[in-house]
Amino acid sequence: MSPADALFGAFSLPFMWRALVVMLVLSVIAGVVGVLVNLRSLEFITDGLTHAVFPGLAVGLAVGGASGVLPGAAVAALIGAVLLTWLMRSGIASDAGIAVVLTAAFSVGVIVVSKSDDYAGALETLLFGRVLTIPPSDVVPLVVVSAIALLLVALTAKQQVFRAFDAAGSRAAGNSAFALDLTLNVAVALVVVAGASTVGSLLVLALLVVPGAVARLLTGRLWLLFPLAGVFAALASWFGLAAGFAASVGAGIDLPAGSTIVAVFVVAYGVVLVGRLIRDAAVRRAQGRPTAPGEAKSSVAASGEGAA
Amino acid sequence: MSATAVLTFEGAAFTHPGGDGVSDLDFAIAPGEAVALIGPNGAGKSTLLRGVLGLVPLTRGRMTFGRRVAAGTEAGATGATGAAADGTHADRGMVGFLPQTMEFDVDFPISLEQVVMQGRYRRLGLLRWPGRADRAAVRHALETVGLTEFAAKRFGSLSGGQRQRGLLARALAADPSLLLLDEPFNGLDQPNRDALVATLRRLKAEGVAVLVSTHDLELAREVCDRVLLVNGRQTAFGPVSDALTLSNVQRCFEGVEVEIDEHTLVVPGHEGH
Amino acid sequence: MTYFERAMLAAIVIGAVGGFVGCLVVLRRRTFFAQALTHGTYPGAVAAAALGVSVPLGAAAASVVLVLVMTGIARVRNQGAQVAAGIVLTGGFAAGAILAAIVPSLPVQPESLLVGSILTVTDGDILLAALVGVVALLLVVLFGRSIVFSTFDQAGFRAAGYREWPIELLVLGLTAATVVSALPAVGAILAIALIAAPAAAARIVTSTYRGMLVVAPVIGAASGVLGVLASRAFAIAAGPAIVLTATAFLVIALGGSKLRALPWRASAIPVETAEDARIA
Repeated sequence: MSPADALFGAFSLPFMWRALVVMLVLSVIAGVVGVLVNLRSLEFITDGLTHAVFPGLAVGLAVGGASGVLPGAAVAALIGAVLLTWLMRSGIASDAGIAVVLTAAFSVGVIVVSKSDDYAGALETLLFGRVLTIPPSDVVPLVVVSAIALLLVALTAKQQVFRAFDAAGSRAAGNSAFALDLTLNVAVALVVVAGASTVGSLLVLALLVVPGAVARLLTGRLWLLFPLAGVFAALASWFGLAAGFAASVGAGIDLPAGSTIVAVFVVAYGVVLVGRLIRDAAVRRAQGRPTAPGEAKSSVAASGEGAA
Repeated sequence: MSATAVLTFEGAAFTHPGGDGVSDLDFAIAPGEAVALIGPNGAGKSTLLRGVLGLVPLTRGRMTFGRRVAAGTEAGATGATGAAADGTHADRGMVGFLPQTMEFDVDFPISLEQVVMQGRYRRLGLLRWPGRADRAAVRHALETVGLTEFAAKRFGSLSGGQRQRGLLARALAADPSLLLLDEPFNGLDQPNRDALVATLRRLKAEGVAVLVSTHDLELAREVCDRVLLVNGRQTAFGPVSDALTLSNVQRCFEGVEVEIDEHTLVVPGHEGH
Repeated sequence: MTYFERAMLAAIVIGAVGGFVGCLVVLRRRTFFAQALTHGTYPGAVAAAALGVSVPLGAAAASVVLVLVMTGIARVRNQGAQVAAGIVLTGGFAAGAILAAIVPSLPVQPESLLVGSILTVTDGDILLAALVGVVALLLVVLFGRSIVFSTFDQAGFRAAGYREWPIELLVLGLTAATVVSALPAVGAILAIALIAAPAAAARIVTSTYRGMLVVAPVIGAASGVLGVLASRAFAIAAGPAIVLTATAFLVIALGGSKLRALPWRASAIPVETAEDARIA
């Protein structure tokens, strides 16, 4: 199979075309939302949301069959987003506590799935998605859910960045931290819901984490991060689907499509990372400076002051 | 007080949910006037400043800012944003605030002018994006603080003094009628101090009202018209020459040995200039 | 020993070790790091199962690679510990899924690697967990003070002339070893609960770190035992049952102490995350 066959010819098949459309929409939106996840360092909360959605998927499947999955996921995701936002801000739960609660939610999902007839198959689908077998009737709901997530982020983008950069200043300027956090967490939750049926509930974390991280490696300009993340996500999704197709149809190795896409995301990240490290080392050598990893946090003035 | 005062307090108190705060606030600031806020650390200076912003509930008396009047109630804490109990609070678009410290990530991919632009967000609201007028305001603010040539540089790459001036520019970008500064002179070297003094004088000439908390008496005498002494409650308010006396200050600092020399308040255990 | 007795023994040992080392993870706020390890070692477990070798061994080999990659990415400017954990978690997990799909005939069900299968635990698994426990105990006895010092006052620790990286390496290694030893009982996805919950509950219930190190293993072992019993009583999978039991302990501890002082309003306290935990 030639590269052209995999990259272009494959998508003349209806199921591949459908998978591509869904992946492009989902991954680009996830990438854009993921820039804020990156700037706010919310990777951990996002991982929590991916685990929180699982029981919704399981219950939805048990109660409503295949068509119950999306609504079930949506309900669980929204409850999870509200709960996590509240936990985050009230300071009750440390990240350890949050991880535990979410794993417990996941366990409930596992128990529900284990009671179904096809335990292994159902678990497989819910965990790893079924991007190649998305029914046409699911495409529009997925796109709509993703679009809502994008809207939430686009409307609040500059306030979200402000809060990411200077949380205290954002509050002093009159922005509600709770409203912004909830909005972002709901947007992430919606992306997780849409992603659960494609790459699987746990791997959707990659769609939210990798493009933003890649964008940070490529540029220091704030508003460039969003388009860069989107473009990376689109290309990686395309290549991931093509690679999966080439492997199964061309080489007879039946790779799970969702995981293959994620693998391409991560490998591409590695390539960009190594490229960036090489470039940095070359620049440093040209300038004769020693290497030094940077300090992550800094304060403007030395004296500290408690929150009023 | 004068009808043209920018900020007026009558028998007001701000109280944290935990119980402490600052009370007996009875003063006013007119446009173009600067008031020095002096008192022991932890005794309410920051609380007062944050209370004007609506971050600490107004539990007694009245605060009038511009045309808006807020009345304090016993109700205590009022929600995540800490808006005043009856729902009205200072229109923060007209207030600029320079905090004492700011925690941030030096690697955050944001430029100085983008940080200054954040000061315009209140005016823009949720949906609108910055336009020509906003960019002009940002340019003007950067000129005022003397950082025009650093506009495109990453904020984290600036020096400490430059960052503080950058944050001041952010406070000014909102075109405020009232500027609040929380101990801006702590740890500043002489050139930066002079630059800040010059900026404050310029702002006063433009009609901005200034409330600045400080331990620096030379600043109070040089730049400020009046002095407000606070220690859990307002202990004195008046023109610098009248109110900034040794006895007033000693009463305010209550039992702590205080000396006033030419330049500064020497208070054992506190950061003097 | 019947398979059930063996499962109970495994539950006690693995639960106790998870609780003990979990204290270090929770106190040093490396929960996301541990989470990344649990998911990221999945390919190692699959490979080991495919090759017929001990699953924890494969997972251990994978964890070495993961720890190196994670610490590497965390040090890169503009990336950081959270990105590192996210990359490793998803990259590893995807690799495991791919491996599980293409290996012709896997001797174990992938599900048992993901959610555990304590009823089929081997003597080797129990021995491994016991070994990790003994080593952990030894290291904490020897280096406990340094660990605590560096955890609570990083700046002071460095100012006193000590170096961070040996402590960090120690804790990371123990964490990886514990994650690996917990896999037979609760699997990759659920392992974090056995590491985080007993320690988090112990932290609420006791006021000193020494107290934590004693109470957490007890809670961990109890969670394991009660979970296995519950799994038999209610005919549910053992892994999830153990997790829910451990969570119940945490919720009880939380409820008991916090119900009165519940902050229904937002405070300024930020969430502790691994982002703060820069590896020296």
